[in-house]
Amino acid sequence: MKKAEKIKKNIADALELPQDIVLDLPKITMIGNLQLYVENHKGIIEYSTNQIRIYTKLGILRVLGKNLLLKNIVVEEIVITGEIKQVEFYD
Amino acid sequence: MLILRLWNYIRGYVIIKIEGLSLEKFINACVQKDIYLWEIKRINYTTLEAKVGIKGFRVVKRLSRKCGCRVSISRKNGYPFWAHKVKKRKMLLIGAFFSCILLMIASSFIYSVDVVGNERVSKEEIIAALEEIGLKAGANKYLVDIREIENRLLIELHELEWVGVELSGIYARVEVVEKVPVPERVEKDIPCDIVSVKNGVIEKVIARSGDAVVEKGDIVSKGDLLVTGVIQRDNIPNPLYVHSYGEVYAKTYYETTKSMTTVDVRQEKTGEVKKRYMLRIGSMELSIGGGEIPFENYVIEKSVKSPFFWRNKDFPVEIIVETYFEANETHINLDIEELKKKLHSDSVAELMAEIPSEAEILNSTIDFYQVDDIIYGNMIIEVLEDIGEQRKIDL
Repeated sequence: MKKAEKIKKNIADALELPQDIVLDLPKITMIGNLQLYVENHKGIIEYSTNQIRIYTKLGILRVLGKNLLLKNIVVEEIVITGEIKQVEFYD
Repeated sequence: MLILRLWNYIRGYVIIKIEGLSLEKFINACVQKDIYLWEIKRINYTTLEAKVGIKGFRVVKRLSRKCGCRVSISRKNGYPFWAHKVKKRKMLLIGAFFSCILLMIASSFIYSVDVVGNERVSKEEIIAALEEIGLKAGANKYLVDIREIENRLLIELHELEWVGVELSGIYARVEVVEKVPVPERVEKDIPCDIVSVKNGVIEKVIARSGDAVVEKGDIVSKGDLLVTGVIQRDNIPNPLYVHSYGEVYAKTYYETTKSMTTVDVRQEKTGEVKKRYMLRIGSMELSIGGGEIPFENYVIEKSVKSPFFWRNKDFPVEIIVETYFEANETHINLDIEELKKKLHSDSVAELMAEIPSEAEILNSTIDFYQVDDIIYGNMIIEVLEDIGEQRKIDL
């Protein structure tokens, strides 16, 4: 993490600001294993029925599952439905 | 999400098929251009299917060329496309409009009139009276004044106490309450006789006015003269007409015979079922397949299926389903004493409803006799009551 980032994080902690806004991080919400919301994404890298890779600030977010479907996709948000099995970040 | 789907439907959308190699790039480009894509489905390695709004679709076409993929429409959906299609078929629209109008006109008429609550006044009579007033099948329901009809029916038929007309859709329900008949009272200055209203054996005649023509022990039947108002004496040249009154007590008999079976046949279903179908057209019945019933003892359940049911009008075509359940019969002999008790209480209940409340019960007997499996109970109740009724003398 760069120095500027660290300062930002400290300020966010001190002021109790939501970190996803201050640090420009993705906010991921899951409803069971049925639905996954990814807010603040940077684009989609790969999309197939059992794997979706999304580019975010923290690197690549990989969603593994079955019968995955992109319910909708707009600039701020991606909604994935299907049978989600695994969500992971990797560089 | 119904609202969203409805909104999309109103706005119109197309289902597009995108073919190419770098489909993710295409999706990202769409997102960048602010095109809303939804329900993106992966068909296979080179194909995607997605929904996109009409406006977005034009941009998508241009984008696809840039990204090196091919976009084709697989379906158009939504209100704008539908409206466009309908515009080309004006007659369809006119037809729909006219059928709506026709339905409205047709439903403004009364199709059937039903009368409930009448006992002594016949239904035909009431319906005929209603027809004259204006409430009949075929009358426009917006033109008939219900209050007016109720009042006029009351005037027309004196036997009615109250009339209520209810229109529910195309069906008119007329509810009536009849007047309780009041025994005809004869004014005190009008000459009259006393006649019998029931069969019986005279027990006591108290003629306060008029001459008694029966005495104790006489057997009278309904309508017989008991006390006459025409007084003839040897010393009076012309007969004298008086208003006779008094009480005539007679023994009357109320009788009923009831029967019950002493063997209870229980049918237990074994589970074997056979169905037969019949088609009924009017009064003609056609059986459709089926064949013989393979059971010796069976229980039949009939059910009728009409293609559609139109209020209380029968549609002349029906399908009758007869279901035959195989059954085992078991005979159980019932307790005779129990049956006798039941017969007795049933008979008493039935007769007590007939006997007037002021009558005095003198005696009651019940005889039981059995024929084969059926037990009969014959009950007679002997009652002392006033059987006289005044009747005007026709001069």
